[in-house]
Amino acid sequence: MIYKTALATGVMIFSAGLAQAEESYRIGITQNNVGVDSYQTTYESAFEQAAAKHGNVDVIVLDAGGDVARQIGQMRNLIQQRVDAIIIWPTNGQAVIPAIRQAHNAGIPVVVTNSKIAEAGLDYIAAFSGPDNVQQGASSAEMMCEALNGEGQIVQIAGQPGYTTAMERSQGFEEKLAEACPGVKLLETQPADWNREKAQRVMENFLTKYDDIDGVYAGDDNMGVGALNAAKSAGRADEIVFIGATNFAVGYEAIERGEYYGSIYQSPVDDAEAALQTALDVLAGEEVPKMNFFETPKITANNLTEFDKPVF
Amino acid sequence: MNMINMKDFLKGSGFIQPIWVFVIVITVFFSFMSEYFLSIGNLGNILVQTSTIGLIALGMTFVMINGNIDLSVGAVLGLAASLSVGLQDYGITIAVIAALASGLVLGAINGLIVWKTGVNAFIVTLGAMIGVRGLIFVYTEEQSFYATNFAFSDFGAASIGPFPVLALIFLVCTLVMHLVLKKTGHGRNTFAVGGNPEAALDAGIRIGRHMMINFIIVGFFAALAGVLLATQMGAATPNLGRDYELWTITAVVLGGTKLTGGFGSITGTLGGVLAIGILRNGMNLMQVPAFYVLVILGLILISVLIIDQRLNVHASKGVSI
Amino acid sequence: MASIEQGKQAILLNKKYKEGLLNFLSAQGILVFFLICMFAFSLFSEQFLSQSNIMTVVRQASIIGIIAVGVTIVIIGGNLDLSVGSMLSFSTVLVVDLHDKIGPAGAIVLMFVLTLMIGAVNGLLIGFMRLNSLIVTLAMLSAVQGLVLIYSGGKNVDIANQSDTWFAIFGRGYVLGIAVPVILFAVLAIIVQVGMSYTSYGRRIFAVGGNPAAAVYSGIRRNWCVFSTYLISAFCVACAALVLGSRVMGSQNNVGQGYELLVLAGIILGGTSLLGGAGSVWKTIIGVLILGFIQNGLLLLGYPYYTQWLVTWVIIILAVWLDLANKRKRLFTTHS
Repeated sequence: MIYKTALATGVMIFSAGLAQAEESYRIGITQNNVGVDSYQTTYESAFEQAAAKHGNVDVIVLDAGGDVARQIGQMRNLIQQRVDAIIIWPTNGQAVIPAIRQAHNAGIPVVVTNSKIAEAGLDYIAAFSGPDNVQQGASSAEMMCEALNGEGQIVQIAGQPGYTTAMERSQGFEEKLAEACPGVKLLETQPADWNREKAQRVMENFLTKYDDIDGVYAGDDNMGVGALNAAKSAGRADEIVFIGATNFAVGYEAIERGEYYGSIYQSPVDDAEAALQTALDVLAGEEVPKMNFFETPKITANNLTEFDKPVF
Repeated sequence: MNMINMKDFLKGSGFIQPIWVFVIVITVFFSFMSEYFLSIGNLGNILVQTSTIGLIALGMTFVMINGNIDLSVGAVLGLAASLSVGLQDYGITIAVIAALASGLVLGAINGLIVWKTGVNAFIVTLGAMIGVRGLIFVYTEEQSFYATNFAFSDFGAASIGPFPVLALIFLVCTLVMHLVLKKTGHGRNTFAVGGNPEAALDAGIRIGRHMMINFIIVGFFAALAGVLLATQMGAATPNLGRDYELWTITAVVLGGTKLTGGFGSITGTLGGVLAIGILRNGMNLMQVPAFYVLVILGLILISVLIIDQRLNVHASKGVSI
Repeated sequence: MASIEQGKQAILLNKKYKEGLLNFLSAQGILVFFLICMFAFSLFSEQFLSQSNIMTVVRQASIIGIIAVGVTIVIIGGNLDLSVGSMLSFSTVLVVDLHDKIGPAGAIVLMFVLTLMIGAVNGLLIGFMRLNSLIVTLAMLSAVQGLVLIYSGGKNVDIANQSDTWFAIFGRGYVLGIAVPVILFAVLAIIVQVGMSYTSYGRRIFAVGGNPAAAVYSGIRRNWCVFSTYLISAFCVACAALVLGSRVMGSQNNVGQGYELLVLAGIILGGTSLLGGAGSVWKTIIGVLILGFIQNGLLLLGYPYYTQWLVTWVIIILAVWLDLANKRKRLFTTHS
């Protein structure tokens, strides 16, 4: 017993010493919906690993399960616990703004990660860190144009309706396509909620409805591969160009096999590390730009070897 | 002898209901596990987070004592939230009134259909749950709405002294509905109809009307919960309220209300929603991974059901063979 | 004289025929409705009645259909099963993940065993412990979803080598030009329907669901009957997982989310009463197909996907109401 107490005291003194040498931070993160897809799960473990590397960072990791109301509750809990900074992966780009404003008013800096929040909330955040989804959509449009030589009919399979990432990718894609590639016509867009099985069903319906489809743009590779599955079953995969975003392992392999034209390479590890680093920079009092985009390059069969296969 | 007294005590024939024993146990447990748990601020948080499900559960208790069920509350909540934000161009007051009215109307539609067609409430409200979600998507065109006026979201964050306004609204509503259930003719008839519809009919109780009133009550509370949730977010999303019907029914059943009707109480329901709220909050503070929270909530629900049944076992002895 | 007699007979026959038709219409109202829907959609969309479209819709509906066959039995037995959505996620993730680890045969066997075990838990709690089925399966909905996430660590699972595994047959294969999922659906439905109609087991389930007390007095072991319905439901979920996993060759953790509602909607639309003791697999098939074709038809006509929800709302209530009105020979209830 005495031994244990002594040990505990020792640890306390030790950690107190550490804290003096280097200021210690408590950072809370509330994520969107871990477990709904591998990207978010990989992000979570990468974030925890990154935090463990910094000896002085203590993280509180929460998951909103996709529910806006629960995320707001978690924001309030984190404010209540007086954490030093909050990182939020918004379940919705607008509905979380009042909660972010409350944190801001309580003097807690907020870093938004992965998915942007609406214009009105930008005043209350310390920084955003994540991919530029509008740019990603535009890049996909460029690839589509290139693959079809500027002519053809395509369909779009979008992510979850109402979710910022899905809307921004669609917006970026549609705007760029109309501008750079007027010869390519977008026949129809249907959502598949980031779900491969749903994407497969949506694509099956497209295939019966349209006799002539030259290309498919999917909001992520998970859905893109679902569309590819459907086209393969119908024996029409060869005549269709598939382009996705957020390169998944299955998409990477499909590019390798030559069945899939291209995607956007986006690493959840980069995403998580960038978010944590941004938060630490803010806490250290450094000047941090409001928008911190990390690189998300195009990936096609031509440059496939430059990238590691995604782990998710 | 002692044993029987203990049983009576736990069964709620004494002054305390079993769910409240559970609430006290988990409160003590979490206060040892986390230093933040018992702070005034956190308790306020729990009440605010509980208020959404809690308000709906008040109405659901009436509907369930009445022998019915309402699965459409989550969708009604979503529609009311979208209306209360989307119509703010006409002024916040009008938007809020329209939102609450939508709840009353949808509740009345559900109630009228159940009354006049005789179709099982489970089916009627399952249909409404799917259809009202469609209404939301038609109205919002899949978009989230954002309240440009911060006065709206400031209301959701306001407090009187240390008490958050939303928590106070919830507690006042709870008290009112407790009195309505206990002290009014409508409350008594709700029990009578749920306990034995034929006998109630013979006694000249207008069972259809009471059913409809109860559906209007739950519709109103679902809409109120939607409006208050929208003030917390300053926004509304088309998917808001999904699964809430499941958690609401869970909370009401945890509180001792019988799905077969004729038995239940508002105090029990308050215990039920607090139990879920405290569990979620406490597990958050203890950083229990989200995946395990799902399993734990499921297991606790089954355990409570088993305990509840064991306590009532002598009542059903005649039937079970 | 003879001609008058003949005429009388003809009139009588005609009357009989008319009554027969009316009876048929009221008994098979939902089937008639189904045919009217099909006709209406075919007027507005050329592709709707094309062979490829019909095959696509039936194939897509077969996963829900397979599950609905099992849940129909649970409902006839007087209970509900809301846990099938989470169970579908569980089974699909399991069979896909194990495919590469222990081979397709082992994966399928293990998946069936574990899925049946979850069904057995449902059956124990509801059949033997007599807990309320709505709440138990609601709790299982949450608990099993949690188990899936814990098992997979929240990651998607994939089958690495998709082109040469015989596992592909369940979701992608064709026999005599008919998709395997459809065949599975049909075979399962026929076996279960025959079992319910022509065996003493089926009669016992109807008895237990219709009048539990009477069933017990006539010597039926109610506990075992209820228990067995949940095993059948779990077995059907496992079959659906086979199709789903093979079709996608991968799985997300929430792939079955919401299936419990689609399944229920199909069953109710088909006309199986939630009170237990009545219903049929045949009706459920019609109900599931109606939902499938309405969804498909509305999309082909260019309506946004959520309009199908509004239509579902109206037709579910209408279908059950008219069925009820027909039985009591009165449109509205009489009490005030």
